[in-house]
Amino acid sequence: MRMRHVSAVMAAAAAVSLLALSWAPASAQEKAKEGKKVPYPGAVRPTKAPPPGPPGPVPLLPDGKPDFSGLWNSQRELPGDAEPEMLPWAAALTKQRVENYSADDPEARCVPGGVPRATPYHVQMVSTPTLVVILFEGNIHSFRQIFLDRKEHLKITEPLWYGDSIGHWEGDTLVVDTIGLNDKFWFGMSGQPHTTQLHVIERYHRRDFGNLEVEVTILDPGTFTKPWVQHRLATIETDWDMIEYVCNENNQDPTRLVGDKDKH
Amino acid sequence: MNVRLTNALAATAAVAAAMWFVNFPALGQPAKKGAPAPRAVDGKVDLTGVWIVSGSPNLPGDPDYLPAARKLYNERKASGGKDDPEKACLPNGVVRIEPLPYKIVQTPKLVVMLSEGNTHSFRRFFLDGRPHNLDVEPANWNGSSIGHWEGDTLVVDTLGFNDKTWLDGTGKPHSEALHVVERYRRPDLDHLEIAYTLEDTQAFSKPYAFTRTFTRVTDRDLKEYFCAMDSFVGK
Repeated sequence: MRMRHVSAVMAAAAAVSLLALSWAPASAQEKAKEGKKVPYPGAVRPTKAPPPGPPGPVPLLPDGKPDFSGLWNSQRELPGDAEPEMLPWAAALTKQRVENYSADDPEARCVPGGVPRATPYHVQMVSTPTLVVILFEGNIHSFRQIFLDRKEHLKITEPLWYGDSIGHWEGDTLVVDTIGLNDKFWFGMSGQPHTTQLHVIERYHRRDFGNLEVEVTILDPGTFTKPWVQHRLATIETDWDMIEYVCNENNQDPTRLVGDKDKH
Repeated sequence: MNVRLTNALAATAAVAAAMWFVNFPALGQPAKKGAPAPRAVDGKVDLTGVWIVSGSPNLPGDPDYLPAARKLYNERKASGGKDDPEKACLPNGVVRIEPLPYKIVQTPKLVVMLSEGNTHSFRRFFLDGRPHNLDVEPANWNGSSIGHWEGDTLVVDTLGFNDKTWLDGTGKPHSEALHVVERYRRPDLDHLEIAYTLEDTQAFSKPYAFTRTFTRVTDRDLKEYFCAMDSFVGK
């Protein structure tokens, strides 16, 4: 398998790190030097769909179910989803976090991204008839397990970063139900909070060889006044592999993410 | 030699061989006969399961260290684990393991090993014939692992290490030239054996080999453990 040149990886990594840290295009840098506020794009809504992946038939597992195994680009939200509708406390906290440039994002402190946060890095999915594993290149290079051989959730004695995920098939769609999540992670740089009542339903549908549609429903009566639904697309990579990412090695985010100094 | 002496020698040899197997039943066959190992859909032994090491995770004895590596080892032992990368939530690498469960998930072209402890991360063994991914990542914490089956043994070959991991908790060093070959066997349902051969032309004067045995964990799956979470304060 051909692997892309190191310089392409470095360019990609540099581009991604700009997204993750204080984004400042040239004109914004000039504005910042003049002491003017730079608008924070962390809460920008998607305006166009990502380029689709290659066509082809969906590979199947020995039991006839769709096989999600492969190296996938990150899930990216499609345009057109409604904004979440939040209770006042949550709307206020979200606004505060965005105005502070998401400086307190736990993801930058090398704790897990939780569910259903997507990072701008790749994932490797591995499907067996009883288990789907998601390996994350980014965040803390960890994993989620989705158990297909359990119909009941575990009894949760202590809320978890990734919760307990069980899945069942509805036709060719894998419906993943996750509970038992703690309230410490953010859903994204946009900073919406949640409580431990969080209940996430993900519907994974591999439309064809190169395209994995994911419909995410976030339910949390302690935070949202109605379900928050996102439509995302992941596309397959055929000429690439994940590289290692070690969050705690040379982690400079905590000292650099200073937020909006005027508001401290 | 006359016939009677030859027969006597042969008989003695046969008795000795039989006694050898009785006294050392681990050689050539498992000591305790358990249920047979399951098979995957492609007919290979299925290594899938949750496994925990039997006995100490530390390496038995020491590799034959070259002088510079021996000096570094002595310094680390004397410092009482001061710069242990594990304490900084950095990866263990592929030789150092925790006394905590690991989960293997086997598919025909890819075998994944999930770690409950250390960085709660994963290793991937590619069985699809690709070479080590060294042009993109020549040196990282876990190297690049490729594997193939030899009968019922999965042979995993790993190259492309940095020199930052410790081979075990006592501080055993290695260089970027480390080359690890692991041979995975599942002699029965409840046991996994990994026979390791380590070569390191910049740190060892000769290869170093040892074997670990793991037993199957049947009462639970991996738990969550994240290094940084104890010190994390949310806002």
